[in-house]
Amino acid sequence: MHFQNILVHLQFHFIGNYALKQPSNEPISPVHFIYIAHLTTENVSNVLYIAKKKTIKDSEDHTTTLSSLSGDVGVLHLLESEENLDWVLRTGLHPPYMVIMESALFTRSVMMKLKNGSSRVAGVAVVVPSANPPQGFSPHNKCPNENSGVYSESYGPTLAHCNTTVWNPLGNGLSYEEFDFPIFSLKDDNDTQLIKQCYVDHNRPVNGSDPQYPLCAMQLFSHMSAVTNTATCMRRNTNGFTFSPESICEPLGDHNIWAPAKPLNTTQKGHKAGESMVMATLDSRSFFSEIGPGAESAASGLITLLAAAHALRNATQEAQLSRTIFYTFFHGETFDYIGSSRMVYDMEKNQFPIDLDNVHSVLEIGQVGLFSSSKVWLHTDPVSRRNGSVEEEVKKLVSNLQTAAKGLNVSVEEPGVTQPLPPSSLQRFLRARPFPGVVIQDYSSSFANMYYQSMFDNADSLKMSYPPNLTPEEQLNYVTDTAKVRAYMMLRLLVNTANFYISVERQTSLPTVLVQHLLANLTGSTANVTQEDCKNQRENQDDKESKHVSYSWVQGAAPPNSTERKGFCVRSTVHGTKALSPAFELEDYNSKDYSTWTESNWKQIKGRIFLVASHDLEVNQSAKATHSRVLLNGPRCQGLYRLLT
Amino acid sequence: MNLERLPNEEKLSLCRKYYLGGFALLPFLWLVNVVWFFKEAFVKPPFTEQTQIKTYVKRSGLGLFCWVTILTTWITIYQHFRAQWGEVGDYLSFTIPLGTP
Repeated sequence: MHFQNILVHLQFHFIGNYALKQPSNEPISPVHFIYIAHLTTENVSNVLYIAKKKTIKDSEDHTTTLSSLSGDVGVLHLLESEENLDWVLRTGLHPPYMVIMESALFTRSVMMKLKNGSSRVAGVAVVVPSANPPQGFSPHNKCPNENSGVYSESYGPTLAHCNTTVWNPLGNGLSYEEFDFPIFSLKDDNDTQLIKQCYVDHNRPVNGSDPQYPLCAMQLFSHMSAVTNTATCMRRNTNGFTFSPESICEPLGDHNIWAPAKPLNTTQKGHKAGESMVMATLDSRSFFSEIGPGAESAASGLITLLAAAHALRNATQEAQLSRTIFYTFFHGETFDYIGSSRMVYDMEKNQFPIDLDNVHSVLEIGQVGLFSSSKVWLHTDPVSRRNGSVEEEVKKLVSNLQTAAKGLNVSVEEPGVTQPLPPSSLQRFLRARPFPGVVIQDYSSSFANMYYQSMFDNADSLKMSYPPNLTPEEQLNYVTDTAKVRAYMMLRLLVNTANFYISVERQTSLPTVLVQHLLANLTGSTANVTQEDCKNQRENQDDKESKHVSYSWVQGAAPPNSTERKGFCVRSTVHGTKALSPAFELEDYNSKDYSTWTESNWKQIKGRIFLVASHDLEVNQSAKATHSRVLLNGPRCQGLYRLLT
Repeated sequence: MNLERLPNEEKLSLCRKYYLGGFALLPFLWLVNVVWFFKEAFVKPPFTEQTQIKTYVKRSGLGLFCWVTILTTWITIYQHFRAQWGEVGDYLSFTIPLGTP
């Protein structure tokens, strides 16, 4: 937890040293960094079966797993090793098989073999362990967002496509593969034990003899409506011939949360003073939908930025800075920078309160949860630094950060080699114009995070542990500093409860709401406004002017002697703007410049096991099953989606 | 309608109506013609109008065969290639099953 404390101090010192030197004739170098926190948390524990990987579509490739409309039925087979795959793919007598495997076998080679033999595979169920695999696991690509960042054939071609350094060496790219069968995840609990027992009792070959009917079978439902790619399914959404009003896929989207340290005039588009943008990321994902813990990849940076915003609240209110800090939290950065590309697009089109002209510099907080040897790394873009003025600003930025860190127990360094920026929102800003910017990360040449964008990126991966034998109260007291306590509590809250997957636009994800209200509470002030006025975004009944502040009503806590909560209104500068890829505004679904990810609609997500008496009965099992147990049913299975790009 | 009760002239006129009606892109009329008047044209002992009825039935059969060929060919091509036609395929389709390319 000390990393957040350190970063908070860093900013504080920075402001302390520079902001208050005011009244000389030289311009103040204001706080011009943006905290870009990547907030990701994992929430594996509370869901029984995180459901199968949804289908996500892309214009180039698509990631899908799907079942037929009536569900896929297969004879259960517990995969014991990779060699055991032979039974499923070649020698087994009762295909198609429903393969159950431990997560140790959930590797690229096993899944690719299953994909190639998918005529004999009815589906896959992965048992998720309670402990993270020590060797690491990342279903994301080795070079995340390589085609949507700033590096390309025309900008730093030697740095593009991870030629100099591979950011995610453990990446196996499974999240971006297409599978013709459903893939579900199962928690390792009593129901899963039942499944394994069913296999052992009925399906296991004994002494070399083949298993006989009745056999244990499993049926998985996860029919996805959308196919091929985003352009096709968006076209079919609006196809004039069909009468049905249901859509088959929806774009991924949510909201970006932003808050200037001092109120802007939001009705006037294009603000002319200097702003420094501080950025963070709100989202993450995993192979399975509805699991998106992202502790290191999102939560760590997000919490840091929130803590910094809170710590700087008083300083920025009182000091007269020539530039203001602009805290921003982007959503959808995992999927080709949905949020940041949208914000840059809005700025270019003058649809945003500030312009690209007003942005002086950018500071981003990336993955900062896994400090090793108290080192923090500052990444910069070598191509933009070839320009003299940008180089000067970046040097200033770096030296400011280093100075601020001197008094603390952490060293701030730049990686000594010429290498590109890691995947970060700053890259989208650089696509627009060469800003001086720095990205703070806890690694120098490849991720320290061994579980990047996977279901294992949770509290354990952050090594958030107390000494043993502490009660919860003692655990809280263990972290003494109040800022630390608050940050730690926020982190704990997010890491265990939030799912950071962005989902479709009409569904606001929990981190968005949390961050919006947390930021309001931490940077705003209590206002003497009635509940009705507060909810209607006005100061009082007569207040008709358009506002540059926002109001949010906090329910508050119940005072000790009563049960009714005492609410209050918080006035802050926090706003949310739509984070939907510009490709959907422009209706260019094959866009190479912007993210085109969509998510398919589905009918029902469920599964069940039963005994099947003969092969013919497998087809019509609903009538003939001798014993059936519903394992997964609708409302709890939300994690399925088909993502199309 | 029972053909037994009809006089031969009316049978001929009915056959002719169905034959001519099929030209209005109604191959089922030809199908009905062939099926209904088959006995009259080929099985029954000859009567004056039978030669004409026979002509009509034969020509209806020919027209029917053409239609069946054309439709079968088109349906096969469409079912096989619609997925590959992309946008054109979608615009040609009235309804596309969910979850299929």
